[in-house]
Amino acid sequence: MQITVKIYRHIPGVDTQPRYDEYTLDVDPKERILDLLENIKGFKDGTLAFRRSCAHGVCGSDAMRINGRNRLACKVLVQDLDTDQIVIEPIIGLDVIKDLIVDMDPFFEQYRSVLPYLINDDPLPADGKERLQSQEQRARFDDTTKCILCAACTTACPPFWANRKYVGPAAIVNAHRFIFDSRDHGAEQRLSRLSEPDGVWRCRTVFNCTEACPREIKITQAIAEVKEVLASGKINYKGVQIGPERVGSG
Amino acid sequence: METSTIAPNTRQVRVPKNYETTAWKWMRYSALLLIPLAWIHVILQDVIVGVHRIDLNYVALRWANVGWRIYDIALVAFAFAHGMNGLRQILAEYFPSPKARQTLGWILLALWFVITAIGVVAVVGGVRMPKQ
Repeated sequence: MQITVKIYRHIPGVDTQPRYDEYTLDVDPKERILDLLENIKGFKDGTLAFRRSCAHGVCGSDAMRINGRNRLACKVLVQDLDTDQIVIEPIIGLDVIKDLIVDMDPFFEQYRSVLPYLINDDPLPADGKERLQSQEQRARFDDTTKCILCAACTTACPPFWANRKYVGPAAIVNAHRFIFDSRDHGAEQRLSRLSEPDGVWRCRTVFNCTEACPREIKITQAIAEVKEVLASGKINYKGVQIGPERVGSG
Repeated sequence: METSTIAPNTRQVRVPKNYETTAWKWMRYSALLLIPLAWIHVILQDVIVGVHRIDLNYVALRWANVGWRIYDIALVAFAFAHGMNGLRQILAEYFPSPKARQTLGWILLALWFVITAIGVVAVVGGVRMPKQ
């Protein structure tokens, strides 16, 4: 099929204004948007700039706005869009460096601010040298372990568009992953950051983050759970185990 | 010697007590209270009585009961406080500086107070029937 691809082009400091370049391509409906970009860059316009790495929906490099929605270019097929007019733009809320490449530093700054790593200063148990966790406790934060830091959620969030100081959904998801980990003792430090005026309270439950997440993380629910801990001071580590029990477990 | 044991399923943590947390809780509690307050108001005034039959006589009759006066003051105070807090949340996105947000908070609080005070004066003052 023949399609038209309109791509946002801009080099701040060089171009006076952003523009949209249009390319006409013959494609297979099962091709991915990333394939179209590779095609354009390889055969039509080598100056086009975009990020990509694994190309299989794991690295989170190629988040962009595809027909107005934040998506990973490597996970969207042409046929998914149900149109022959495709508009590709950079994710919004972060500064454009070139074309579809944005400056991710403010995003990662917010991510680092929630201390996204296990904090436990207790001595290791001498016998097993392992901090045990039940399957239900592991299930409690399973959903939020899936984040690949693509920024699709944070840059789909209207409060973040208006105010870049807002910690944003991705950072809250990664805080959730450790706050609800029964082995972690750093919840109070994270909650201190998240209770700031630009912390978790800036979320207005728009649900754009949940809709944008390529990993289908229930982001708005995770944010609500963090708010609940801040309101009650109580963390419940017991989750619901999904799927069959491990073979041989007694 | 410490042994490997599974941690308990719940833990109490110290959470910072601050204005934003209190404002968020206020939003939830006032919303819960507004559900009966607003629904009873709508059902009574708009469905059972009907807006076209509300006149001074009806208001005088209703406010003869002090319970309805307290009810109406609670409705205006909580509905407006809930709305002002929502407006504060939205405006905070456009005013990132802490100083501007603080000033805005005071302005909205003052606005809430003025509107609520006008409502209270009206309700407490009651209905003065025109001379025939």
